Amino acid sequence: MDFILQIVQYFVNLGPAVMLPIIIFIVSLILGQSFGKSIKSGISIGIGFVGIGLVIGLMLNNLAPAAKAMSQNFGISMSLIDIGWPGSSPMTWASRIALVAIPVAIIVNIIMLALRFTRVVNIDIWNIWHFAFTGAIVDIATGSYTLGIIAVAVHAAFAYKIGDWFAPVVENYFGLEGIAMPHGTTGWFAPISVFVDGIMDRIPVVRDIDINPKHLKNKFGILCDPAVMGGIMGVIIGILAGYDVQQILTLGIQMAAVIVLMPVVVKYIMGGLIPVSEVARTKLQKKFKNSKFYIGLDCALLLGDPVVVTASLLFIPLTILIAAIVPGNQILPFGDLPTIGFFIAMAVGVHKGNLFRTLITGSIVMFMAIWISNQMIGFHTILAANAGQLTNSAARVASLDQGGSPVTYIITQVLDMTNVAGFAAIGLFYLICVICTIVWSKKQYKMLNNK
Amino acid sequence: MKKIIVACGGAVATSTVAADAIKELCEKNGISAEVIQMRIIEIENNLDGIDLVVTTMKIVPNFDIPYVNGMPFLTGINKEETEKRILSYIKD
Repeated sequence: MDFILQIVQYFVNLGPAVMLPIIIFIVSLILGQSFGKSIKSGISIGIGFVGIGLVIGLMLNNLAPAAKAMSQNFGISMSLIDIGWPGSSPMTWASRIALVAIPVAIIVNIIMLALRFTRVVNIDIWNIWHFAFTGAIVDIATGSYTLGIIAVAVHAAFAYKIGDWFAPVVENYFGLEGIAMPHGTTGWFAPISVFVDGIMDRIPVVRDIDINPKHLKNKFGILCDPAVMGGIMGVIIGILAGYDVQQILTLGIQMAAVIVLMPVVVKYIMGGLIPVSEVARTKLQKKFKNSKFYIGLDCALLLGDPVVVTASLLFIPLTILIAAIVPGNQILPFGDLPTIGFFIAMAVGVHKGNLFRTLITGSIVMFMAIWISNQMIGFHTILAANAGQLTNSAARVASLDQGGSPVTYIITQVLDMTNVAGFAAIGLFYLICVICTIVWSKKQYKMLNNK
Repeated sequence: MKKIIVACGGAVATSTVAADAIKELCEKNGISAEVIQMRIIEIENNLDGIDLVVTTMKIVPNFDIPYVNGMPFLTGINKEETEKRILSYIKD
């Protein structure tokens, strides 16, 4: 183990922008891609890392001081900016766990399929980063590479089960037949929506409230554009920070730039992973092409549903409001706002498009995510520093996705036990939700079979 | 020069897979095309001069521009038919 660790550490020390291109180039060649394609994939992933470093630098150097000034002016504590999944996924891919996370997640999947523990054939290689994040955090918290790998496996196994439990919803509500979503973000909160649905059904009057918007999104128009949204947020924060006009306008443009450029640069990292996902996809499909299996895909596929879009837009201001009332919260939601739909997409399906219930589930989910991500700031900052993305040594980072995931939190706390009360509360609540989900899912499958 | 929008929920993961496949398809068939990636909610505001819209999830299009569901690029099922449909819209 030590020898392997030394080799891995040498590569990690090269820095992600150099290490990952080499790794991807070699892996790509081994998987049978052409020389040209392999080298292009490798360089692409390097470009992505250089790019995300620049964008995160822009954010930490300009937006973070503004958020701090705003916090001081108003006596609120939100001085840390949420880097979102476009910030946290590259850090994870740069960690020493990520290299083994892809094969580990695939092997766990194959074992579970062989033992008939799951029907999900996961071909969504990109989102293995969610499991890798859990592994990386455990690795940092315990200092044990082995425990980190085990954490990846546990999280992956849980995600595949989530895929199984919610496949009927994906089929019935979203109309995607034969597809499951073993996704790290949409996955973890989905059981909470089942719990909320169960409670709602038992309260008279409340159970009859059904808001089902189909055309609301057109009224928001240009506001759903991330560039406009980022600009407006920048200007508001600038005003609250007590900046002068010049600084306010600059901050507006900088914030718009961050929010628009983040997915643009992350795209290159995804581009580098394409040869790996292509091969994994074809191999897994050949082996498990029977109709009894679900193909595991990215829950980005759910984000275009009209109710999901409407709920996502409502949750942009709502999440900031929730952040203001979470006790002791230091994090200003930002990087995850344009894709806040990842947090609520499956809830919309479970609630059958009922916006009222989605708002309740979503509020609980965001409250939890923000509270948990506060507990994760320490580990998350180490993860960022390891990835070489902290230019300022005083900077600290946090993300709602994946830093706010209870799955990551519970697994880390089991091994680390730094906050026993928090662990007990979150763990117990989440366990109840998961048990509800298992019972509920059996019913869903019965209904599906009776159709 | 054809302009193609490829969109998904987050403009990173699934749309990159589809965009990559479509770029390759155009190259193979000698079509010069610009592939623009974005989030599904951005499509409406960016339709000027676009020849084709591809999304990796099923949407009900509320625009007149040709639309193709690009999910086969992710699942591999019906991929060839989808490629043919895309070509039928962007071939001169």
